[in-house]
Amino acid sequence: MAILLWDWGDEANMGEETREGIRGDVQPIIDKYPAEKRYILPIMQDIQKRFNYLPKEALEIAAAYVGAPVSLVYSMATFYKAFSLVPRGRVHFRMCDGTACHIKSSQVILDEIHKCIGIRPGETTPDGQFSLETVNCLGACALAPVLVANQKVHPKVTPAAMREIIKQYGGLADGPTSDA
Amino acid sequence: MDQRAMLEPNIRTVLVCCGTGCLANGSMDVFRALQKQLETEGGEFQVRTYTKATGCNGWCEKGPLVKIVPDDITYCNVKASDVPAIVDKTLKKGEVVKKLLYRDPKTKKYFKSHREISFYTKQLKVALRNIGEIDPANIQDYIARDGYQALAKVLKSMSPEQVIDEVQRSGLRGRGGAGFPTGLKWKACASQAAEPRYVVCNGDEGDPGAFMDRSIMEGDPHSVIEGMIIGAYAVGAAAGFIYVRDEYDLAVVNLGRAIEDARRSGYLGDNILGSGFSFDIEIVRGGGAFVCGEETALLASIEGNVGEPRDKYVYPTEKGLWGQPTVINNVESWANVPVIINRGADEWARVGTATSKGTKVFSLVGKVYNTGLVEVPMGTTLREIIFDIGGGIPNGRQFKAVQTGGPSGGCIPASLIDLPVDFDSLTSVGSMMGSGGMIVMDDRTCMVEVARYYLNFLAGESCGKCVPCREGIRRMLEILTRICNAQGHPEDLEILSSLGETLQVASLCGLGKTAPNPVLSTLRYFRDEYVAHIVEKRCPAGVCRSMTEFYIDASLCTGCGLCKKNCPADAISGEIKEVHVIDQDRCIKCGECINNCKFQAVKVR
Amino acid sequence: MRVKIDGIELEVQPGEILLNAARRAGINIPTLCYHEAFGGQGHCRMCLVEVRKGAEVKLVASCTYPINEEVEVKTRTPVVEKIRQNIVMLLCKEAPASEIMQKMYVEYGCEANLLEPNEGERCILCRLCVKACEKMGASAISAVFRGTSKRIGTPYDEASADCIGCAACAQVCPTGAIEVRETSDTRTIWHRDFELVRCKECGRVVGTKQQLDYLRSKLNGITPDYELCDTCRRHRAAKRLKDYVRV
Repeated sequence: MAILLWDWGDEANMGEETREGIRGDVQPIIDKYPAEKRYILPIMQDIQKRFNYLPKEALEIAAAYVGAPVSLVYSMATFYKAFSLVPRGRVHFRMCDGTACHIKSSQVILDEIHKCIGIRPGETTPDGQFSLETVNCLGACALAPVLVANQKVHPKVTPAAMREIIKQYGGLADGPTSDA
Repeated sequence: MDQRAMLEPNIRTVLVCCGTGCLANGSMDVFRALQKQLETEGGEFQVRTYTKATGCNGWCEKGPLVKIVPDDITYCNVKASDVPAIVDKTLKKGEVVKKLLYRDPKTKKYFKSHREISFYTKQLKVALRNIGEIDPANIQDYIARDGYQALAKVLKSMSPEQVIDEVQRSGLRGRGGAGFPTGLKWKACASQAAEPRYVVCNGDEGDPGAFMDRSIMEGDPHSVIEGMIIGAYAVGAAAGFIYVRDEYDLAVVNLGRAIEDARRSGYLGDNILGSGFSFDIEIVRGGGAFVCGEETALLASIEGNVGEPRDKYVYPTEKGLWGQPTVINNVESWANVPVIINRGADEWARVGTATSKGTKVFSLVGKVYNTGLVEVPMGTTLREIIFDIGGGIPNGRQFKAVQTGGPSGGCIPASLIDLPVDFDSLTSVGSMMGSGGMIVMDDRTCMVEVARYYLNFLAGESCGKCVPCREGIRRMLEILTRICNAQGHPEDLEILSSLGETLQVASLCGLGKTAPNPVLSTLRYFRDEYVAHIVEKRCPAGVCRSMTEFYIDASLCTGCGLCKKNCPADAISGEIKEVHVIDQDRCIKCGECINNCKFQAVKVR
Repeated sequence: MRVKIDGIELEVQPGEILLNAARRAGINIPTLCYHEAFGGQGHCRMCLVEVRKGAEVKLVASCTYPINEEVEVKTRTPVVEKIRQNIVMLLCKEAPASEIMQKMYVEYGCEANLLEPNEGERCILCRLCVKACEKMGASAISAVFRGTSKRIGTPYDEASADCIGCAACAQVCPTGAIEVRETSDTRTIWHRDFELVRCKECGRVVGTKQQLDYLRSKLNGITPDYELCDTCRRHRAAKRLKDYVRV
């Protein structure tokens, strides 16, 4: 049983990367796969996991490796929700807005997050601490509404519980981290 | 060791549910606490004890769930702090910890075994047969429950044609939504001359509000793998792919481990069980796109492309993955295959209706007392599922509609509560089976807003390739958003219907063809609600914020303070045991007050 | 194999695309995303027709439908006409600045409605440009994002190293949605400037330097006279031939 699933935490590295640094980090990833087009998706997933987003240079290296045009790889990067083209926050909130969560007021939680840290779905706080996106269903509908903070699932979130979660991750100490 | 634990009566096994739902509720803490305590005081036991983590029991509402066999005790909402009581009383003395038992909210009766609880009594577990009973990480657990027997039978005594014939005779129809006969699909693929051929498992479960396939992939991965090996033997495929939805981390981990174990045990790889038949499986992780549940889009994604569907005038059984004959079945369909072979087609098809055989798993969620996974014979009525198994609607509210089939399905009104649930009945009322999502709605659900929600979902999930789907959804959403913002026009309904009909026939793939169902079905059954929004500028359910005002009926308010406590905007004032009042200027219209009021004192204006 | 299209019987090869068979029979089926050079894409759905076999009737996109059985086809039925009208209406709201769409809006008798037009837009996402770019071998542009956010672009909406500035995309675009700006020596397309090469004889634009370099690289060693435009090259070839005959 994969008991450590929810402890994966923040293994992804944040911050600015140099071009050489990116190449050095991408090389071991592409080395794991044969240079065939069908492996572009898993390569991109590994890159996303490593950097918490898809750096432009990394996409170019991956495209060249499997022999696909950069335009195709960029199409995929913008098509699939698993990918982000900009760095996500150190704490990445995924708020479920699946049907069950939606009819159990996930919007109220999104409003609460905005009230506390000033970000809407798709945004990151200026200090890079928090980012937020909505996902369509996490498959934990019986616990609606559900919020995932990095890998940790928070069931049946209420506005009050949301404030607690934000505090737990270092927000809200002295009000919103942004006035947006 | 583990399967003995399940069979020998003098060994107690503690099964801790570690599905996504229970994990989120802290079941891993319970599991670790149990292991720790048993390690430190293991010697004192009269019986030997094992603790194992299982897949999802389906009753996520009451998680973390802990079962103890062979005593057949089920504990609900267990916390790590309950572990000493469980060890001291139940494991050491065989006594029951009463406060952890399920208590029926109506009769106040306690239940010792989950088998006696109404949530489970009406269910018939076939696809979910092993889930919650075995450790998905242990192939021996699966084998102890007839696992890989069907495969052995097929390889030893059946020809590929006989296997196809058996599946065809069972009447199994695809559990992914459209209900295409599985046997016919296999036959079409097997009749192709081209090689290699492929089998694919569609585990890209994307319907919001549905998690049947997640539960099977996490909790009983070998059943899917065994089904695929049997299918591959039948159609002559040498390679298989399981395409798993991106969000399902645990399913990927468990499937990966199961594949490795199956290889090690000789069920996968070269010369399986000495039969000369070779086959292997690879996991492909989805990129996060609902449309990849559509089979041609899924194939494009495996090939390393953007997940866009193509016209299916030539079926994947003829030209699928890399242009080769390919069979694609859904997770639940694959999990049924070993049972059909083991029990025989006739026995398997004993339950169900004339045209829909077997059982179907539903994910029962929304405004219903018991939420979770439910497996019932085809033909079970909505009333039985929602009221007998689901326990009805909580907080004394009224049942209004049930949505089946996710964004591709429709809303079925309360008047059709006695509808038997099978492929054809659901289609006849303008909904569909879909993959098995079942979302219960009460009188606090606005049907126009529900339709808008689904279209908003699809606007982001449509691949954007064909015009009717991309532009039609955009425009229908524009109209519905306007209606929900009190800016609807009387002629909007006609355009909605006209566009909806165009989408149904002109869209390229199933996503677009079924996209208007939530709108058309609500227009059909809840037209008066649309009219109320457009003409009276009123949202009867009190959901659409620009048209809603909540107030407290002074004659019903008991001053309990629950609404005030739950109001996130501090908009409610009042002393305990006195009538409370909502400050309209501060109210954000979230509806928390009305949802929490036990006396129906909060009203919608 | 024989099929009947709008009452006209004709012989087809198994697997022949319905649209081609219809055009061979002189029947015009409207299309917006189809080009002979690229084959059917099935995007716009304008070419939907009714296919009947016995009691079974279905609507298919004629640009991607291979005829594999003897069927009867109707290219204009009330259902088909209504679909085309709705598609034209939707596309005209999506790309109201496109003259073709404005014209079709009138032709198809679309009625005025309250849907908000997407002001200034010309692109109908037929993706012929993407196909043309792929055919040229550059694959510099693609359809990016998804759903209602889908659009055509270069990666990151920046100048693409793969683009050769050939403007084949703009030439094939039915709605004039791709912006090409030219000065006497520069062409600007897709966020990038290209150096124009002009015909030595008449001064007309032959292509961009990058485009000619790319073609040379593809032709290993053979170097046709790229410094002349098509017309002048023909003239020169004719003159050479004349000189040759005379000798």
